[in-house]
Amino acid sequence: MLATGDSAPDFSLRGLDGTEWRLEQAVADGPLLLAFMETDCPTCRLTLPYLKRLAEALGTDSHRVVLVSQDGAEETRELVHTYGVTFPVLLDADLDVSRSYDPPAVPALFLLSDGGRIEFCEVGFHKEDLNSVAASMLSSLDLPATTVAELDDGAPLMKPGCSSRHLEPPMAAGPGEAEVDEETREPAPEPIDLLPERAPRATRLTLAEDEDPYEYCMKAGFSPFLPVVPPTAQRVDAFLAAIPHPADRVVGLVPPCYGAATIEKIAANAVMAGCKPEYLEVLIPVVRAACDERFNLHGVQATTNSATPLIMLSGPAAQRLGFASGAGVFGNVSRANSSVGRALQLMMTNLGGALPGEIDMAALGNPGRFSYCIAENHEHSPWQPLHEDLGFGPDDSTVTLFAAGGLMEVSEHTARTGAGVLRTIAATLAMVWSWRSCRRVEAVLVLCPEHAATLSSDGFSKSDVRDFLFENTGVPLRAFEHEGTEGSQALGHYEEVLIDGEPHYRKFQDPSQIHIIVAGGTAGKFSGVLPGWLAGAGGSQSVTYPIKW
Amino acid sequence: MPTLVNPLDERSREAQPAAPRLDTLEGKTLALLDISKPKGKEFLDRLQLLLEERYGVAKIVRETKPTYTKPAPGALLEKLAFVDGVIEALAD
Repeated sequence: MLATGDSAPDFSLRGLDGTEWRLEQAVADGPLLLAFMETDCPTCRLTLPYLKRLAEALGTDSHRVVLVSQDGAEETRELVHTYGVTFPVLLDADLDVSRSYDPPAVPALFLLSDGGRIEFCEVGFHKEDLNSVAASMLSSLDLPATTVAELDDGAPLMKPGCSSRHLEPPMAAGPGEAEVDEETREPAPEPIDLLPERAPRATRLTLAEDEDPYEYCMKAGFSPFLPVVPPTAQRVDAFLAAIPHPADRVVGLVPPCYGAATIEKIAANAVMAGCKPEYLEVLIPVVRAACDERFNLHGVQATTNSATPLIMLSGPAAQRLGFASGAGVFGNVSRANSSVGRALQLMMTNLGGALPGEIDMAALGNPGRFSYCIAENHEHSPWQPLHEDLGFGPDDSTVTLFAAGGLMEVSEHTARTGAGVLRTIAATLAMVWSWRSCRRVEAVLVLCPEHAATLSSDGFSKSDVRDFLFENTGVPLRAFEHEGTEGSQALGHYEEVLIDGEPHYRKFQDPSQIHIIVAGGTAGKFSGVLPGWLAGAGGSQSVTYPIKW
Repeated sequence: MPTLVNPLDERSREAQPAAPRLDTLEGKTLALLDISKPKGKEFLDRLQLLLEERYGVAKIVRETKPTYTKPAPGALLEKLAFVDGVIEALAD
């Protein structure tokens, strides 16, 4: 592949509109961005809306973004139509130009300065690179800066692409397969859109005069397990009027069946769950987080484990919108908690397709499958709030999703020291997933205000708490004396440490696997441990999104 | 007569027929796909032995999913497209 500093070879190609386009002319008086793409590459399709945004920001200079398609006119036209591309599109179906620029993968971006020197080149999808390319082009044309790729819009920060067409092996035809029968040939699969911008509007269903709308919703599968508020057009339209986004805007595709969560579908499910319209300021980022591929809702929904998304709010928006953070926080204490948690669960089935026993294969399930949503108790926390721990400002608010099992409550009413409280909690943490399973485990620790106060008055910061628990949570070696129990297969990877003078295997691989939030009422020394599903990039990673419209 | 807004994913999904079954294993190329659960290798080693000794399978291709928590990546599925059959095996 050509590299930064190289001189971009001149070429001419025919555009999709039939006109001849020449690099030398196009790059004579300003910067130019060449984007090599394949029409069926999901990462290319993910990139296109961001290039469109850049072209819009360039205004009359939008012709400085140039798409070089490695496919024929027909497929390219479909792509251009689907994404509403208005900047120049060139056809390199013979791949001569692709061979000369030689990117290993697509999308491949080449930013050229006027005169044709390569200022920057990159393959794959990278939000930060798209932003720096945009900043460079806009500044060199004296245009106002803009962010073309918001980091929290629900799309991944980066995604590898597909092999560039010119490096693909030629299609090998086996004996007798040289002639393809057009009638029996399988149609090409539909290209995958990882994050479409728009999706069709919801249909509206008029019920018969004598139909009970509550029973209809159960019968029609809108919520087969618990009655809901019927999503009448009147109610949904009132929500849509209160939301500053178009009804057909896609917020995310809900795994594992990837139904589109449009603003309208979110509103319909929110109505059913009993939300108020203003809760959608929280529910929209919740959907974004649930559809973030790092969270791996696909696995969370399909696993035989009981994990389900726990929503944790932090920041001033929680109180403003009436989310409960105090006494009974996991129970029926606030319409906001109950209905937002419920709305996510409804969408996981209605848009994600995870019906119990069909795709949701949980052996036991989890009461959180009805609703699992808490807010942090800032008023009674001695420490900096969760959203500030995560790098957000004091006035920001966030939603964090964690794939959690059921609550394991820890009573410690006797210990008078922080270390005493934490030793009791460590014993419960050691049970997460399965007693002898270490390292690939994760947990949320919900500290009640009384325990948090004891810890704080004993000088523990939140990170001291995390470090103490990391150092003091383990499984004694004697637990492995009996063969053939879960956790013993991975014994070779465990780290042996001394805890209270006794040899143990360390439970966690890293302190970051212990997430801490302060919540609950001011009376009662009961904290809680929520076991996670499989930790890390091979399982589900906790994700945080800012609360904003 | 209330009008309701459909809250479901409305794309139509058609049931797909299963791929044609093999009438014999003899002389075929099979892939054994390990989904990365513990002891998957031991289980598939044994299965491979039985397939070769008892059923005359001509060739066995072994592949492994990076993680059992996510669908197989496209590149892995492409590698499996040319075999006669795939046995996907979990363990534990």
